[in-house]
Amino acid sequence: MPALSNDQADFARAIVLGLDLSPQAHAVCPKYRVATAMAVYHNNYRGNLHDTLASAYPVTEQLVGKDFFRVLTKQFIEQYPSRSGNLHHYGAEMADFIADFEPAQSLVYLSDVAALEWACHRAYFAEDEATLDVSGLSKVPAENYADLVIHTHPACHMVRSIYPIAAIWNAHQPGANSDFHIDLDSGSSNALVSRKENTVMVTELTEAGATWLQSIRSGAPLGEATSGVLERYPDFNLNTALLNLLEQGVLADFTLENMP
Amino acid sequence: MDNRRIITAAIGSLLMLGLVSGNAMADDKKMDMEKCFGVAKAGKNDCSSNKSAHSCAGQSTKNNDPMDFVAVPKGTCEKIAGGTLKSM
Repeated sequence: MPALSNDQADFARAIVLGLDLSPQAHAVCPKYRVATAMAVYHNNYRGNLHDTLASAYPVTEQLVGKDFFRVLTKQFIEQYPSRSGNLHHYGAEMADFIADFEPAQSLVYLSDVAALEWACHRAYFAEDEATLDVSGLSKVPAENYADLVIHTHPACHMVRSIYPIAAIWNAHQPGANSDFHIDLDSGSSNALVSRKENTVMVTELTEAGATWLQSIRSGAPLGEATSGVLERYPDFNLNTALLNLLEQGVLADFTLENMP
Repeated sequence: MDNRRIITAAIGSLLMLGLVSGNAMADDKKMDMEKCFGVAKAGKNDCSSNKSAHSCAGQSTKNNDPMDFVAVPKGTCEKIAGGTLKSM
């Protein structure tokens, strides 16, 4: 039955691209003109994707305002059709899109904020995994501590920017003081995304803390990661770093290097 | 080696914390594990939440996009120094 599948492909293309159905299509619409009915489909398709993007990028939307965000998403949706049946996957390319989006060029930090928001979005939907079992850790002999390979939770992400994106993100959360002023020159940001009890948080790591966590995330054992950081940052406080990361649910399972 | 002492002390303090708040942490973990997989953000992945387009045939015959010339950011970006457009 090629006729049916041709019609369906034509129908889908017309919805996504906002085109007219080809004259050969077998379309029947009793109450409206076919073009009118197709416009309704097209608007609903784009409306859903706009809402999906607004839900994934609420800080970006607040930063630029609703009207601008609608223009931005309209062009994004034209450029990136939905490719998954799961709307949670939609919008991954936003940071790159914004970086090239001419009308947003003045907001130099916006692309990095969007990257942080996508990390938060992924963190929200990341799988559950048990956080570090401290009682299991107590069974490890102290002489093996340096060989500990600590894994991070699937909801943990790090986003680095030369702009203060963690402060910008936190200023736009529900309940935050709306009377804020952020100086873009206040420095770079090592934003850490984590999730605790279904709430996604963004905190800031020090340069040393970020270097250490990056090293741990790449699979370096505790001893190696710590020595490496202490060489560059003699003030690095492992004690505080570990306690903070444990508290934020960033640390998950551990293994011992060279042991099964 | 000094680093070894630092590591031993840091893990030691994690273990102390585990002893002190052992029960509370077990509860946290339980709560995490009971979370339903696939829980959705409010209004997410739900066609009926579509506020951007009319969902009833006949309500909307044309798109409701803003004009493309409304392309100047007008949001909280004004509160971020150096982040806004110079006024034209």
